[in-house]
Amino acid sequence: MASRLKSIGLRTGSIIVLLLLWAAAAELMNDPQVLPGPLAIARTIVADFKTPGPEGESAYFDVGITLARIFITFSASMVAGIGIGLAMGLNRLCERSLLALIPLMLTMPTILMVFLAIMWFGYSEAGGLVAVMAVVTPFVTVNMYEGTKAMDKSLTEMAVTFKAPRSLLLRKVYLPQLMPYIFSAFRYAFGETWKIVALAETFGLKFGIGYMFFFWFEQFDMTQVLAWIIMFVVLMLILEHGVFARLESRTFAWRASVAR
Amino acid sequence: MKFDPSIARAASPVAAMAPVIPGQPVRQDVSVASAITIDRLTKRFPVPGSGEEFVVLHDISLAVDDGKFVSIVGPSGCGKSTLLNVIAGIESYDGGSVTIHPKAGRAGAEPRIGYVFQSPRLLNWLTVEHNIRFVLEAQNVPRQRWQELVAKNLEMVGLAGQERNYPLNLSGGMQQRVAIARALAIEPDILLMDEPFSHLDAITARKMRFDLMEILQRAKPTILFVTHDLSEAVFLSDNIYMMSTKPARIFKRVAIDVPRPRKPEDATILDLEKTLVREFFSVVEAKD
Amino acid sequence: MRGRLRQNKTGHRRLPDSIGRMLPGVLTLTAGLVVWKAISLFFFPLFFPGPGLLLQRMIEIYSDPASYVVVEETLSRIFAGFVISMLIGTSLGLVMGLRRSIEIFFDSWIMVLLTFPAICWAFLSVLWFGLSQTAPIFTIVLIVFPYVAMNIWAGTKAVEKDLVFMARVYRADRSLMLRKVLIPQLMPYIFSSLRISLSLSWKIALVAEAFGAGSGVGQQLIYWFQDTRVDMMLAWGVSFMIVMVLIDLLVFRTWARRTFAWRPQLAA
Repeated sequence: MASRLKSIGLRTGSIIVLLLLWAAAAELMNDPQVLPGPLAIARTIVADFKTPGPEGESAYFDVGITLARIFITFSASMVAGIGIGLAMGLNRLCERSLLALIPLMLTMPTILMVFLAIMWFGYSEAGGLVAVMAVVTPFVTVNMYEGTKAMDKSLTEMAVTFKAPRSLLLRKVYLPQLMPYIFSAFRYAFGETWKIVALAETFGLKFGIGYMFFFWFEQFDMTQVLAWIIMFVVLMLILEHGVFARLESRTFAWRASVAR
Repeated sequence: MKFDPSIARAASPVAAMAPVIPGQPVRQDVSVASAITIDRLTKRFPVPGSGEEFVVLHDISLAVDDGKFVSIVGPSGCGKSTLLNVIAGIESYDGGSVTIHPKAGRAGAEPRIGYVFQSPRLLNWLTVEHNIRFVLEAQNVPRQRWQELVAKNLEMVGLAGQERNYPLNLSGGMQQRVAIARALAIEPDILLMDEPFSHLDAITARKMRFDLMEILQRAKPTILFVTHDLSEAVFLSDNIYMMSTKPARIFKRVAIDVPRPRKPEDATILDLEKTLVREFFSVVEAKD
Repeated sequence: MRGRLRQNKTGHRRLPDSIGRMLPGVLTLTAGLVVWKAISLFFFPLFFPGPGLLLQRMIEIYSDPASYVVVEETLSRIFAGFVISMLIGTSLGLVMGLRRSIEIFFDSWIMVLLTFPAICWAFLSVLWFGLSQTAPIFTIVLIVFPYVAMNIWAGTKAVEKDLVFMARVYRADRSLMLRKVLIPQLMPYIFSSLRISLSLSWKIALVAEAFGAGSGVGQQLIYWFQDTRVDMMLAWGVSFMIVMVLIDLLVFRTWARRTFAWRPQLAA
C-alpha cells in the first residue's frame, strides 16, 4: 500500500519536476522564440481551439482530421497485414513469393515511403494511405506470419478430423492462438501509424496536426509549434496508454500471463 | 537492532552493492577451539501488510570447532538458509551473537567465508579458472598466488585440466565441484554449504559425498553443512544439530564419533541413523 | 552438393539441396524485376524508373566525387547520434534497473519521449540550432536514447539475482560486480540495443536532414522530391539503404559470433 502511494507520488513528482524545469528554463531564456513557458503554451492551445486558425478552422477540425486519418489508415493496414500474414502462414505459395519482399519493405526508411507515396499518388488522402500501409502492413504481416508458425498444429489436426469448415477453423482455432500476436502488432502498428500520418501531413496533406506543425514552423512561431506538438503528444499518450492498456488487460483476462 | 530490508531483500542488484552491514559486529576472539560460536541467535521478519513480525530464528546456539564438520538437519524452509546468510554476514539479526574466529595469523581481519549453494551459481561466461579467480579477486588474495590456488583446488576436487573449459560444458556434478573448489580456493575460515547435493541425482550425490570426505582429510576446512537428509548428515558429520521449524530452533545435538573413512552401509552408521531418524521425525512431524 | 545432379530412389534426377532452397527466392527476385520493368514501361521514366534506369542513376551518383562528401556527412551524423544515444541510454537504463526510485521517476519521461515523432524534434532542433550539424544529431539522440534505455532497463530485470547474491557473499566490490557479473549478463541487451540504435539512427538522420541540415543524403531526398524526380530520389535512397544494410551485416554478424562463443545459439 505504502509502496503504491510512493510510486504514484514519484510519477506525479517527476511530471511536476519536468514542468518546473521547463518553466525555469523558459524564464532564464526569456525569449519566447526560443523556449516559451508552459503557461504560454497552455494559453495558446486553448486559443487554438477557440479561434479559427490560418485555414479558417479551429483546432477541433485539425485534430479531428488527423484522428480520422490515423483511424482509417491504421485499420486498413491491420486488415491487410493480418490477411496477408495469415495467407502466408497457411499457403506455401504465398509464403515463398512474399517472404523475400518483407525484409526489403521493413528496411526502407519511412521518409522515402512518404515521399514516394506522395509523388505517385499526389497530395491527397490516397497518398497518405499508401504511405502508412507501405510501412505498417509489412510489420503486421510479419507478426501474423510468425504467429501462424507458432500455432499448435495438433489443434488444427483435431479440428480437421472433426471436419470443421474453414470459417469455423479460422474463428475458433486460429484466431484465439493468434490474438497475442495481433495485439502486439496492434500496439506497435498504432505507434508507427500516427508518426507516419504526422510526417505525411507535414509534407503533403492539407489540414491536420502535421500540417499545422509545418505551417507554424515556416512562420518561425515557436509558441505555436510547441503548442501543436504538445497537443499531439498528449493525445497520443492518452490513446496509447489509456485506451490500449485497458483493452489489452480486458481481452486477456483469461490468460493473465500473456498480457505482458 | 533494526532489521535492514535493503540488505536482506536484495530485491535489486544495487542492494547487492551496498556495503555489508552485519546486525552486530562479528567479534574476533582468539579462542582456539571453536571456529564459529553462535549464542542465542534470534531473528525476526516483519510480516508484509501488518505491523507484526514473525520469528524466523529462535534462540539458536551452536558451535563448530576448528576443522570439524557440523551439520544442521531440518525440514526445508525452516530457516536454515536464513541462518547461513546471517553467519555469512549478508543478513542482519535481532538478538544473540555470531562469532567467527579467523585462523591463526589472521586475527583482526574480516573472516573469510566460503559458500557452496544448492545450485553451482557459476558465472557461465567465464572459464572454470576465471570463476575461481573471480572470488580470489573479490577477497583481495594477492595475484601471484592465483595460479597456484586454482591448480591446487581444481586438482583436489578431481577437475585438474579443466581450467579452460566453460561451465555449461560440464555436467551438474562437475559444476558443483567447481563451486566447491571456488569456495576452498580462498582458504576460508569457515565453509558454509547449503544442501549442496540436493539438486544432483542420487548416484552423483553419493560420489560427491565420498569425494567431500577425501577433501576433508586433505584440506581440513571447518564446515557448517545444512541438509534435510539425515543419513547424509550422519555419514559426513562430526556433530549434528537437529532443527525444527516455525520458528527455527535447535532441539538436539548429537556427536557422531565414528572414525573416518566411513562407509554409508556400516552397521554403526546405520544404527545411529535408525535411532536418530526416530527422534528427528517425532519432533518434526509432531509440529504439523 | 557441388552442382552435380544426383539420382534419387526413383531414378529421376534431382537438383542439389542448396539450389533447391535458393530457387524460390531467385525466381521471386527475377519475377519481381520483370514485373517492375513491365510497369515502368507505362510511365515516364522520371516518374517510375525501371530497374535499368535506377542502376544507371546510382552509377552516375557514385561516379561523382561530390556525392561521397554528401554520404560522409550523413554517416558522420549517424555515427555521432548513435554513439551519444548508446552512452546516455545505457547509463540511464542501468541506473533505472538498479534503483527502483529512479526507475519510477524516469519511467514517465521516457514514455513521453517515446511518443514524440521524429519530425517534431526535427522542427524543434532547427528552430533552436538552425541549419547545422547539431540539429540532426540532436534529433537522433532524442529519439533513439529512450529506446536504448528501455532495452537496457529490461536487461537489468533479467539479471540473475542468485549470481549477484553469490558475488555479495564472496564480498565482490562494486567494480567487480559490474564488470564480471552485471555487464556480461547485459551483453545480449547491449548488443540488440546497438543494432536497433543504428537502424533507427540512420532512418531518423534522413528525416532530420530533410529539414535541418542543408546537406547530406536526407537533403538530397527532399531536393529531388521537390523536383519530382523519382529516379534520382530512389537512386539516392536505395543506394544508401544498401550501404546501411551492408554495415549492419558486416559489423554485427561477425561481432556476434565472437562475443557469444560461450553460448553458441546467441550468435545466430
